Amino acid sequence: MIYLDHAAATPVSKKVFEAMKPYFSDDFFNPSAAYLPAKKVSSDYEAAKGVIAHAIGAKANDIVITAGATEANNLAFSILDGKVLYLATEHDSVRKVAEKHGGTPIDVDKNGRIVLDDLRAKINDDVVLISVALANNELGTIQPLSEVAAIIREVRLDRLSRGVKTPLYLHSDASQALNLLNVNVARLGVDLLTLNSAKVYGPKGVGCLYVSHDVKLKPISLGGGQENGLRSGTENVPGVIGFAKAVEEASAHMNGNRKKYAEFRKILLAELQGYELVNKKHSLDNFVVLCYNGIDAERLVFLLEEKGVYVSTGAACAANKGTKSHVLAAIGLSDSEINGSLRLTLGETNDEKQIHEAARLINEAVEVERGRNG
Amino acid sequence: MDKTVFVGMSGGVDSSVSALLLKQQGYKVVGVYMKNWSKDLPGMKCPWAEDLADAKRVAVKLGIDFEVWDFEKEYFERVVEYMLSEFKAGNTPNPDIMCNQEIKFKLFYEKAMECGADFIATGHYARIIDGKLARAVDEKKDQTYFLYRVSEEALKHTIFPIGGMLKKDVKKLAEENGLHNAYKKESMGVCFVGEVGMKDFLKEYIDIKPGEIREVETEKVVGHHEGAVFYTIGQRHGLYISGNVGEVNTGLPYYVVEKDLKKNIVYVSRNINSDLVWTDKLELKDVLVRTKQFISRAASGRPVATGGRRSSSRCRAPDPLETNCLVRLRHLGELIPAKLENNVLVFENKIKRPAAGQSAVFYDGEICLGGGIII
Repeated sequence: MIYLDHAAATPVSKKVFEAMKPYFSDDFFNPSAAYLPAKKVSSDYEAAKGVIAHAIGAKANDIVITAGATEANNLAFSILDGKVLYLATEHDSVRKVAEKHGGTPIDVDKNGRIVLDDLRAKINDDVVLISVALANNELGTIQPLSEVAAIIREVRLDRLSRGVKTPLYLHSDASQALNLLNVNVARLGVDLLTLNSAKVYGPKGVGCLYVSHDVKLKPISLGGGQENGLRSGTENVPGVIGFAKAVEEASAHMNGNRKKYAEFRKILLAELQGYELVNKKHSLDNFVVLCYNGIDAERLVFLLEEKGVYVSTGAACAANKGTKSHVLAAIGLSDSEINGSLRLTLGETNDEKQIHEAARLINEAVEVERGRNG
Repeated sequence: MDKTVFVGMSGGVDSSVSALLLKQQGYKVVGVYMKNWSKDLPGMKCPWAEDLADAKRVAVKLGIDFEVWDFEKEYFERVVEYMLSEFKAGNTPNPDIMCNQEIKFKLFYEKAMECGADFIATGHYARIIDGKLARAVDEKKDQTYFLYRVSEEALKHTIFPIGGMLKKDVKKLAEENGLHNAYKKESMGVCFVGEVGMKDFLKEYIDIKPGEIREVETEKVVGHHEGAVFYTIGQRHGLYISGNVGEVNTGLPYYVVEKDLKKNIVYVSRNINSDLVWTDKLELKDVLVRTKQFISRAASGRPVATGGRRSSSRCRAPDPLETNCLVRLRHLGELIPAKLENNVLVFENKIKRPAAGQSAVFYDGEICLGGGIII
């Protein structure tokens, strides 16, 4: 198997799996229980949250554990009591919630980067929340979040000077970026930040939302008052232990991995025929998004699957629903370019030999399709 | 030049193997996934996406072209709305029959022909013998009950590649050829109704109107219902009957035997031998007779369809005689000898009366002669 879809899911690493194991059996206690073994589980859980929070320059108490990034994004929008702006290329878990609140999309350029002038033009006094993903899940495009944050600071000051009381917050979904970029909430200037364990070799069904002190969220579930009362329910202890271990691993391997992926990306670009869709200057190192104009890339996915090579067209969700990718449409691609776009995302399961082999098999599949089309 | 076949691919094993066989037989094959209407549940993962992916995956494996044709609007207008209006009229329609008549063997057929097809093909278990519709070799899978209203013109250009095979051999062939869906779970029931069941589906479109369930013999109220239109003659389950009715609870189940739509009363009986349950005559409408060999004075020559959209070409002039045939009253039902006289089927032995709106389909041996809709 050659797995080139790490943006969709990552395998749980051995170390992560080992770290989780005791919490399924020996240390199974409910962290809220009164006896000492349960207290130990409770403090392990809090320590794990501390590890996750520390990785983004925050404290355990600043993060709310959720069942993945989708839930975290939904929670972030619970502050809404006003208008929202969101990047046109946001994941559905932001886009759908934003649309429900009558949100307005912010334009992106042909590389998928935010058009800051469009953002400026669209911020009026009713806007409460702006949501811009740190890195896009289909293209790997990295957004200049600190520049967005600077604009937001200006607007806040301006509102204050005019006596406008409406607050303005910045939310960012950093699910794709945690193991490839230095994510620090203060440096990025965000008030809310979403993370996802499943994209960084941790277990699925775990994520979190960083919430800065001046943001007041509304609970998404009521009950025992866990997670600062915002998300009641018995803690997913093994999941969070695994997430924390994965975060540690990600920091330890980040630089080595980035170099490796950049190298692999070079090989793929040299050996493959398709052209790159976006400028790699502002893209995650592990993303290679290619366009084979005139070819139906979904057919390539099925042909490659037969050879044990797993790749993707756009985001997995978009491919499955039979609808065109809103991300690729937002960067101005034609239907034929959208149909022909293939996403390869590199990761820890890959080595150089695999990359050469994948390139050969992808070229072969492209030949089959070109031949069929005559 | 090779003949071109457009094959309807649903993602299931039957249509996949159909495409495979056509390809092996040297046709130029184009796979088409027909996107029919399905209820849109906000925020829900779309149920047909997986079927579409399965169909495409097989097409890619076979190296054939693949297209998605969107018939959502037409399907809703011609199949779903027809079904709803029939239910509202107190009948129990068969949407699969309407789907074949209006979508697969009309819209799909016509569009395929426009796109240069010589033939269309589907994964139905049915055969065409000397231009006539015939039952499949696998009698347990035969789908001619659903196909009797398909136009002769379409049949002339139709191939049923697996009609001569047993289902188990179809699966085996799929497996031998590495088709991933060889053992995929078969879809059951009416496709667009899905998992929720017909009654829940209907409730989305037809208002609940509580009424009485009465025992037909005594007129005694034995329970209450949510609207007579939701009940079908012969139905035994899902009746809200109060516990101990009458002096002695016999433990026998109640059957729906009659509906009074005007008064919104559902009549039930425990008497399985009731004259309301058994009959030796069935009156039909929209009788369609496919072959001239079937001599009948039944078909009146009026247009046979339900929507007024159809050509009259499939109505045959009636022949002033009567004849015997075998009749099937439901999909895979028993083949019962009967005589057709003036739109009335006459049975030698009494049969359980089917619900109005269902079809009676006529056979002469393995040939499907046509059928009609029970009034």
